[in-house]
Amino acid sequence: DPMGVRLAGSHVDTQEPKTNPLVSISDEPETLYKRLSLLAKGHDKAVLDSYEYFAVLAAKELGISVEKVHKPPKKIERLTLLKSVHIYKKHRVQYEMRTHYMCLELKYLTSSTAAVYLEYIQRNLPEGVAMEVKKTRIEKIPEHIQEPVWDTLPQVEETEVKS
Amino acid sequence: TPLSPQTRAARVRVGKGDKPVTYEKAHAPHYIAHRKGWLSQHTGNLAGEPGAAERALEDAFLRRFLYGTFPGILADEVVLKRRANLLVICAVLVRGLAPAKLYFLVGYAETLLAHFYKCPVRLELQTVPTKVVYKYL
Repeated sequence: DPMGVRLAGSHVDTQEPKTNPLVSISDEPETLYKRLSLLAKGHDKAVLDSYEYFAVLAAKELGISVEKVHKPPKKIERLTLLKSVHIYKKHRVQYEMRTHYMCLELKYLTSSTAAVYLEYIQRNLPEGVAMEVKKTRIEKIPEHIQEPVWDTLPQVEETEVKS
Repeated sequence: TPLSPQTRAARVRVGKGDKPVTYEKAHAPHYIAHRKGWLSQHTGNLAGEPGAAERALEDAFLRRFLYGTFPGILADEVVLKRRANLLVICAVLVRGLAPAKLYFLVGYAETLLAHFYKCPVRLELQTVPTKVVYKYL
């Protein structure tokens, strides 16, 4: 029975080539990114740590080189409010909101790799975590500054300088 | 009358020893991030992110709404999670109603809240035989 199933399936492939509907091939040149910087912000450090492990693992599996992973210092926003509804100015309550950061920098990506990686990472972003992405694009030097200006100007004679 | 020097915020005062108290209620708010977690998880309160007041209002409405739809059956506070427009409501219920009635209430809550807040709403339930008691105060 398993042999029969294998033979029944094999002849279908030879007649029609399988094209995956999710993969699209285009002829335009891909934009290259020198650096992709992800900054994740959250209230809970443990959640950010586990997300960092997940993002680094995903980058390694896709073959993306990780430049560095660092944790900028946390920011604490403190509020001092009055404790009572009506009077008692001397009695106050203090609240604080802590934001922990985690920065992941990736090197040398193409736009399609970046799109796939970012989509995967962002679909699995945990609940209380926000993310900012900065991309540094590599471009060719524009034509008008490819050669230095002093090479293109005509040679000026130096006889006027002496007098 | 002058104010008392002790804070009374979100604390259950010690009594005779006959009052059952859940883990959530037993801990004071200064234990958040040490022994307690967060009941409502969204990005509104992070530095530089907008929408804190709107999320707070939505949370207050959702908690009252769920307290009313599941009268006397909610075992503990409801946990709200927001994942990019999706609102996930995690609730623990005591087995006080028949499952058919629970399914109806879940569908009713999900469709009504989805139409009201214009975002997909998912209600994830867990049932428990009785309220989980952490200690008696």
